[in-house]
Amino acid sequence: MIVLVEDQPDQRQALKMALQMEGYAVRVARNGQEALMLMAERPSRVVITDIFMPDMDGLELIAQIREQFPETKIISVSGGARHSQVDYLESSRLLGVHAALQKPFEVKDLLALVRQLIGRP
Amino acid sequence: MNGPMPLRAYLLLLALATIVPVVAFGAVVGYFLIQEQRETFRRGAEERTLAVLTAIDNELAGSVSTLEALATLPSLDDGNLAAFRSRARRVLAVQPDWHNINLALPDGQQVMNLQVPAGKPLPNIGRLDGSFGQIRETGQPVVSDLAVGPVLKRWSFAVRVPVFREGSVRYVLSAGVRAESISRVVLAQGLPPDWVGVVVDRNGRIVARSYKSEETVGQLASTSLRGALEHSRSGWFAGATIEGAAVYTPFRRSDRSDWTFAMGIPAAAVDGAARRAAGLLAIGLLGALLLALVLAHVVGRRISAPISALASAAAAIGRGERVEVPATARIDEIRRLAGSLRESLEMLQLADRQKDEFLAMLSHELRNPLAAISTSTYLLEVAEPGSSDASEARAIIDRQTRHMARLVGDLLDINRINLGKLPLQRTRFDLAAAVSDVVRGWRQSERLEERDLSLTVEPCRLQGDRARIEQIIDNLIDNAIKFTSARGRIALSVSREAGTAVVRVTDNGIGLTREECDRVFELFAQGERTQGGLGLGLALVKRLAELHGGNVSVFSDGPGRGATIELRLPLDNELDQPAANSAGVVMGIG
Repeated sequence: MIVLVEDQPDQRQALKMALQMEGYAVRVARNGQEALMLMAERPSRVVITDIFMPDMDGLELIAQIREQFPETKIISVSGGARHSQVDYLESSRLLGVHAALQKPFEVKDLLALVRQLIGRP
Repeated sequence: MNGPMPLRAYLLLLALATIVPVVAFGAVVGYFLIQEQRETFRRGAEERTLAVLTAIDNELAGSVSTLEALATLPSLDDGNLAAFRSRARRVLAVQPDWHNINLALPDGQQVMNLQVPAGKPLPNIGRLDGSFGQIRETGQPVVSDLAVGPVLKRWSFAVRVPVFREGSVRYVLSAGVRAESISRVVLAQGLPPDWVGVVVDRNGRIVARSYKSEETVGQLASTSLRGALEHSRSGWFAGATIEGAAVYTPFRRSDRSDWTFAMGIPAAAVDGAARRAAGLLAIGLLGALLLALVLAHVVGRRISAPISALASAAAAIGRGERVEVPATARIDEIRRLAGSLRESLEMLQLADRQKDEFLAMLSHELRNPLAAISTSTYLLEVAEPGSSDASEARAIIDRQTRHMARLVGDLLDINRINLGKLPLQRTRFDLAAAVSDVVRGWRQSERLEERDLSLTVEPCRLQGDRARIEQIIDNLIDNAIKFTSARGRIALSVSREAGTAVVRVTDNGIGLTREECDRVFELFAQGERTQGGLGLGLALVKRLAELHGGNVSVFSDGPGRGATIELRLPLDNELDQPAANSAGVVMGIG
């Protein structure tokens, strides 16, 4: 079971389809708030989250999930630093994500990561 | 001078430009003052000369009076020389400066001489000098030239008066007077010790002198004085004493005795004042120059040091180094310059930061659609051809490609406008129609989601690039969508107000703070709460509006209270506007 957090509709839709084609059950959230609500309903084993999103920053979401759902594996995805001075992917690594991907990434790499973390569906 | 000069040199020039005329003026005034002073001095000296000469004349006049009194004695009426001799002896006894009295016939043959016992033969003294001839001629008393007396062998002179009897000169009565008597008169005048007073007879022989009297009496006076006396009876000349000292000499010849009194006034005493004045002037000039040099140096330094500091700060800014703009300057203008430099530096740093953030944003904004496209490409690979998954992937690629194209297009447009290279394809068209077209396009778009997009129009003829105007409207709507929720309301209106076409885009979205309102049209500027995007849209809107001679402004009652963006464009003047009866048409959708 995977929760996919992405504010950009097309990217959200495309990733969801890619994961579903591999056979994973995917629930989507448009922001951190929605993602936490989904997790509260039913925790999932993997969360794939964008870092820059409205309402709740991806980094904040990562911190919350690490605290509330320590079993959940997190993959962070970023289009690069929103503010030039800080490497946010690096920050997400420090927060304890299991993998950090830079957009645009190879979908195959993401699928391989997911497989590695939770096995085939 | 060709090259640039240091500030100090200019200051020095400035100081010189001020000093030199003052010095020149001072020199001229000084010259006239000195001339005046010399003239005054000269007049004083000449008056003094006259006073001394008068005193000498008086002294001689005393002798003349005594002799004239003696000449009236009745003993001379009948030639009783013995009686006369005894009276004359008594007179000689009370005249300390007289050494002798003699009586001679008009031709100079002596008939009585108190220094020679009566009865002894007496020499003729008529040829000693011209005085006997003069008496015979004028019948007036005469003072003889200086001579060494045949009896006393000392320098003396004679005062001679004619003795008239029965209308003619019967005798010449003479008194031998010591030259010292005149010396005493000269000394009694109290001349300054370094001045030399000298009395000279007709022959140019010194009768009396206030300095080295003993050695000089009887000598000829200095050549310069004798030369001057040949030409005039009084005057002033620069010459030398018989000792050779440089002197100024006022001189005057007496009408009564024909003797001359002259003074040797040391040249230094006369020129000293002038020299001192010139010296003071020179010292003043030198001092002023020195002061100007020092001040030029000090002031120049005080001015140029902060300027140099600012210049190196500016150079360091140019090299991109981190610098502190020096704040200490005592000169207002330089302080302002420093302030401006500091402001520019801050703006430069801000612009630099904004540029960095923009580049980071740009990278983010380009990676997002690339990620969607890349994911969709993968989907196309794995999805069954013709399946709904495949067609959705294609649609995503299509949308995201367009999104990127638009992003890149905006960037290029902004760049072209900044470079002044965006040509406008001007035509005449109705703004209302153009806005309606754009709104129609958006209503067919999924991005609108559930937002309410309403439109009110009034026909407005414009002259401009219709595609660019549509781009403005498109960006305004895109912007409104970005800042409203999926069920938000966006209202557009097109109206004519005082010769201007006005497009208002009002939303009930997240609104703006006052500070955001100020910055929203700046390139690279973005509100903290924006949801991505480059902030290019509104910057482009502003520039395009300005290219059309219009402007754009934003109003918001604050965060959470929505915003209105107002675009104003000049109406096309050459065409009559449609009559005002065409009331606005509401084309809203629920």
